[in-house]
Amino acid sequence: MSINKNKLIDEIETLKEEFAKTTDKLVKDVKRQDKIMARSDKRQRQEYDELQKKFLEVEALQKEIEDTQKEVVFTMGAIGESRSKETGNHVKRVAEYSKILALYYGLPAKEAEMLKQASPMHDIGKVAIPDAVLNKPGRFNEEERRIMDTHAQLGYDMLKMSNRPLLKMAATVAYEHHEKYNGTGYPNQLKGEEIHIYGRITALADVFDALGSDRCYKEAWDDERIFNMFKEERGKHFDPKLIDIFFENLDEFLKIRESLKDTF
Amino acid sequence: MTNLNIEETKYTPKINLDFEKGIVSIAGKSYPENTFEFYEPVMKWLEEYFDGNAQETTTINFEIIYFNSSSSKLFFDLFDLLEENNEKNTIIINWIYDEENESALEAGEDFQEDFETLTINLISK
Repeated sequence: MSINKNKLIDEIETLKEEFAKTTDKLVKDVKRQDKIMARSDKRQRQEYDELQKKFLEVEALQKEIEDTQKEVVFTMGAIGESRSKETGNHVKRVAEYSKILALYYGLPAKEAEMLKQASPMHDIGKVAIPDAVLNKPGRFNEEERRIMDTHAQLGYDMLKMSNRPLLKMAATVAYEHHEKYNGTGYPNQLKGEEIHIYGRITALADVFDALGSDRCYKEAWDDERIFNMFKEERGKHFDPKLIDIFFENLDEFLKIRESLKDTF
Repeated sequence: MTNLNIEETKYTPKINLDFEKGIVSIAGKSYPENTFEFYEPVMKWLEEYFDGNAQETTTINFEIIYFNSSSSKLFFDLFDLLEENNEKNTIIINWIYDEENESALEAGEDFQEDFETLTINLISK
């Protein structure tokens, strides 16, 4: 009896040993897993921190690029303007008018903002127009008019090589801001929606501002005369949709004109 | 027994298992989509190698610059296998790491700590 009992104890002892071995191994495995997890967590944290840091750097660089682009574009517009002795705020007003026309026309906010930045370059081609023509008081003769009109093509040629979205947009604006909705504009006599929306918008913004300002060759028009002309030119010089937008939101345009008016 | 060579990919290391020279080298990044599947031929090769095909001295060169946690687990398994064969064979493990790569160094230290009987050299370059 005692022998049998001892044998059973032996078996149990063996089992106990096996069990201890297995649990030791399990404990070791669990510890190992924990270690792997801890290391991996630490590494992930470092990687994430590093990524965040890089991401912020990229964002800052991106902003730097965009700001530089804006500044270059605005400065180029100002150069064009200074050459033709137009008033200091003309390009700023054209920029603001263009933006709200774009927004009400239904362009995405980002595109409208870009157009605001690109539209000041519409007359950049004027830097290549001789002073004698550019600043001539009074009316142009035929030859002078022909020379003056090349500024659209010249502006386009200056900007067309760029792959930057903003400069490409500015190229379109420079090229098409003297096209007319009925096809009688220049340089390509484009008609209706053949004229890029950027061109149609800037055309209206530019003319509205130019008519309301004194220039070397003419005095400013009063509002009634401008509005009558706009109504008359709806669907002729200008995109009818944009003229409608203009009159529907006239207050906003006048507010911009007032806040950016020229001081002498 | 034949040698086993696996080319490096974007996610997996270059692996050379040379049974004639007794040199095993694993170098590069290790974050395969399925780690255990990827290393299965390597583990099989090592089992076969230590099953009567091993050279007098076996050198294992690890130069892992990036690894995910399942690779880390896999390496522990691989070290287990080496430890099991350590008594009958001379095994030298070189864990090569870039001095700026803290996690690679820490992993090497973990292996040293867990496998006291193995010869693991931490080599900074």
